[in-house]
Amino acid sequence: MKEYTNLALEAARGAGADFADMRIVEERQNRVFVQRRSLKLIDETESFGYAIRVLINGAWGFASSTKLNKEEVVATARRAAAIAKASAKVPKDTPAVMAPESKYVDTQVGPCEEDPFKVSNKEKAELLLACTDTMLNQPNIVMAVGYLQFIKMHRIIANSDGSYLDLTNYFANPHLGCYAVDGNESQDRSYQGGAKQAGYEFIREIDLAGNAKKWAEEALIKCRAEDTPSGVMDLVLDPMHLALTMHESVGHPTELDRILGWEANMAGRSFVKPEFVGNLQYGSEIVNFTANNVLEGGLGSWFYDDDGVKMHKFAMVKDGVLNSLGCTRETAPIIGWERSNGCCRSDDFEHFPINRIPNLYLEPGKDDSVTPGDLISGVDKGVYIEGMGSFSIDQMRNNFQFGGDMFWMIEGGKITKPLKKVTYQAQTTQFWNSCDGLAGKDYWKPHGVMNCGKGEPMQVMRMTHGASHTRFRNINVGGAKI
Amino acid sequence: MRTQNEIKQILDSILTKVPGLETQVSYSGEKNLATRFGENSITQNMGGEVENLRILVYKGKRSGSYETNRFDDESLKRLVDIAVAMAEDSPEDPEYVPLPGPQEYLDMPEGWNDDVVELGPEAIAEDIGKVVSAAKAKGFRASGLFEAQAEVSAIANTNGLFAYDRSSDVTYSTTVHGPVGSGKAEVSRNSFGEIDIDKMVQTAITNAEMAQNPADIEPGDYTVIFEPSAMLEFFAFMAWNMGARDADEGTTVFAGKVGEKLFSDKLNISLKTDVPELPAPIFGDAGLAVEPRKWIKNGVLERLRHGRFWAEKKGVEPDPTMFPVFMEGEDNTVDDLVKKCKRGLLVKNLWYIRYVDRRELLLTGMTRDGVFLVEDGKIVKPVKNLRWNESPIVFLNNIVAMSKPERVGHYAMLPGVMSEGFTFSSKTESL
Repeated sequence: MKEYTNLALEAARGAGADFADMRIVEERQNRVFVQRRSLKLIDETESFGYAIRVLINGAWGFASSTKLNKEEVVATARRAAAIAKASAKVPKDTPAVMAPESKYVDTQVGPCEEDPFKVSNKEKAELLLACTDTMLNQPNIVMAVGYLQFIKMHRIIANSDGSYLDLTNYFANPHLGCYAVDGNESQDRSYQGGAKQAGYEFIREIDLAGNAKKWAEEALIKCRAEDTPSGVMDLVLDPMHLALTMHESVGHPTELDRILGWEANMAGRSFVKPEFVGNLQYGSEIVNFTANNVLEGGLGSWFYDDDGVKMHKFAMVKDGVLNSLGCTRETAPIIGWERSNGCCRSDDFEHFPINRIPNLYLEPGKDDSVTPGDLISGVDKGVYIEGMGSFSIDQMRNNFQFGGDMFWMIEGGKITKPLKKVTYQAQTTQFWNSCDGLAGKDYWKPHGVMNCGKGEPMQVMRMTHGASHTRFRNINVGGAKI
Repeated sequence: MRTQNEIKQILDSILTKVPGLETQVSYSGEKNLATRFGENSITQNMGGEVENLRILVYKGKRSGSYETNRFDDESLKRLVDIAVAMAEDSPEDPEYVPLPGPQEYLDMPEGWNDDVVELGPEAIAEDIGKVVSAAKAKGFRASGLFEAQAEVSAIANTNGLFAYDRSSDVTYSTTVHGPVGSGKAEVSRNSFGEIDIDKMVQTAITNAEMAQNPADIEPGDYTVIFEPSAMLEFFAFMAWNMGARDADEGTTVFAGKVGEKLFSDKLNISLKTDVPELPAPIFGDAGLAVEPRKWIKNGVLERLRHGRFWAEKKGVEPDPTMFPVFMEGEDNTVDDLVKKCKRGLLVKNLWYIRYVDRRELLLTGMTRDGVFLVEDGKIVKPVKNLRWNESPIVFLNNIVAMSKPERVGHYAMLPGVMSEGFTFSSKTESL
């Protein structure tokens, strides 16, 4: 491919580019989708294309193509240059520059022990059909859904810094869920483990078939459970639930492009300001968030981001205080930072890479002996929530309301009964400052999110979160109109 | 972009490669431009052309499908070979329905204009320049996305069906932030020439000016006036729940409700195929011809959407698409609705809508880009954003008055709606 990337970079330089890159992306995907006892989809898709990005006099141009030949590569580079000149009609106050970065020449392949594309589709379909059949055989289950998705992403990134990167990653994304109906009530329950950068071995590890009956039974338990209590009380949240809470209230607010106002028309901005770094008490002193784009199996561990920055690990919140922001080579210099921390990614060859949430997780408590049961025993009145459910947050990432997948009443330090339709409402820093308990590292679990939407046109990105069970005091529960 | 004949030749040539197997092949092609801006300058500027082929092969009740964006001979052979191999290896589908035969497609207004294909990034940048200049003149900051797409789609199968459709779209969207508050404007048309950039700029700036320095307001139940832009996603959540099978199985709010009056007498919702302002697609699921549908009539739930399998089981015609949806309105403007309102909130936009209880269709979300207190028929002041928890069923049952419908986005014509007893549950300082 080097002859094409050299040609593209040469054409970009000839058009006056101060910085240029060519990103070639080849993606293969395999999906199997089962609804009830019907195989709705069994397919593979392949996609190939490339984009050339040029920065000319501080203005961006970007053009993509699916045709890889010398003439088309040169034409695409020139089209990108022409688009950059159109961008200059509405220039930035300070022309865009890229933070300096080292030259890397590297080839990397992500974890994949069992190639999912070599496992027969029949085996995948039969696994899902067995799971949905198990669920539908339980009382009151009217609907069951199973889904397996596997992606092989191959990127070649060459840029005018001299970097040439050949990178391959595999992603495995399972889902299984069901709906129960009991009279006029209907509730659902589903697999909550998320996705992982892995091969088919991940599907064998999570034992969907072994859990199908339990989840179906719990869907009916939810139907027959009491409605949410209402009032101010404590929460104990499991790692799968917290993945979404931290995604919305920590991951997005710390994206520097949002903070700079670049997402104001759609995804919104942030209550965080650059000067809050080192000053804002984001959470209580036991709250430590780590950004880790070299996390083994993390969906955001891409070796190098689409700016050509080598990915690494850094503290986002340290002892409760905001310590850093996720940034790109373009956004970092705007706030006076010398280098990017590698948070620039695109979901497809035809989309412009943007500032994305890295793998981001809540560190477990320092006392490894603390168990989820210990956290629950310290609650007089509260709710224990498992898994993800309803989620909504305002465009500055302050006011949020979350539900969950399974709920249990805590009374006198003990779980007493199941609940349904529980929601809680809080403001971001109020919520994380009310954190007073973390289970130890044995209870820490990752959760890969495959569907983070951001940008215009919309880009869907992947990253992994993680936590151990965590306790929060005095949260407003049950304020929704049930 | 490829012509109809060129696409048909490609699809026909693929169908001949799978003799004896029931097969469907579809094509989609798109030429696009997308320019983003933030803080009064262009931040991203993109252009490209993509096309895809998708094949679905049946061997009895077994199926396999494959999709590619590569069109060379070797890739087309692989497309067929892999799909056939997958069909041979997959379990039988008990809900298999044979592919439809040739259809009679309605003669509808076409949503296509060559000016979108010919559009270049300079013209879009010039329009962005107008928004940014107007914002700068007020000391405001503009962000947005101006994009244009020309799309071609076609479908063919071994039962003799062939359909071709094309559409073009220009959508301009901007949010303008002042020191303390924001306003938004968005317009979507099938032709570049139909975009009134000056009107859009004026709307965005006026909305931003009106929204500055909002006052505190306590959550509670209010009469609300939703502008059409606020209606869109709220309404879409209801449309997504209008599947017949889900209702028959008891998992949605419409379970056992067909034929019942669930909404205000004023509510009429349909799929229309003769509206030039919002042309419908010619074909939908599996290439079935799109025809007019009446979903809700005078507040009565007339029909839910049936997929092909459920339609066959229930002995009714399948519904190839739900969208675009058309909601009838009344002979009012949004200003008229404000005049009719004794005390309430005018809501410009909603944000981050999600289910709280899917079975009851209880939703939550935030207001965004402008909320205004109305008293005695007049806008009194902007107020801060609020979180709400409400059902569109309740909202559409409590309709007081509506404005004339207008096109909102790509798939709906909706009026502004005044409705009573809408529940706001908490507040935020976020503007």
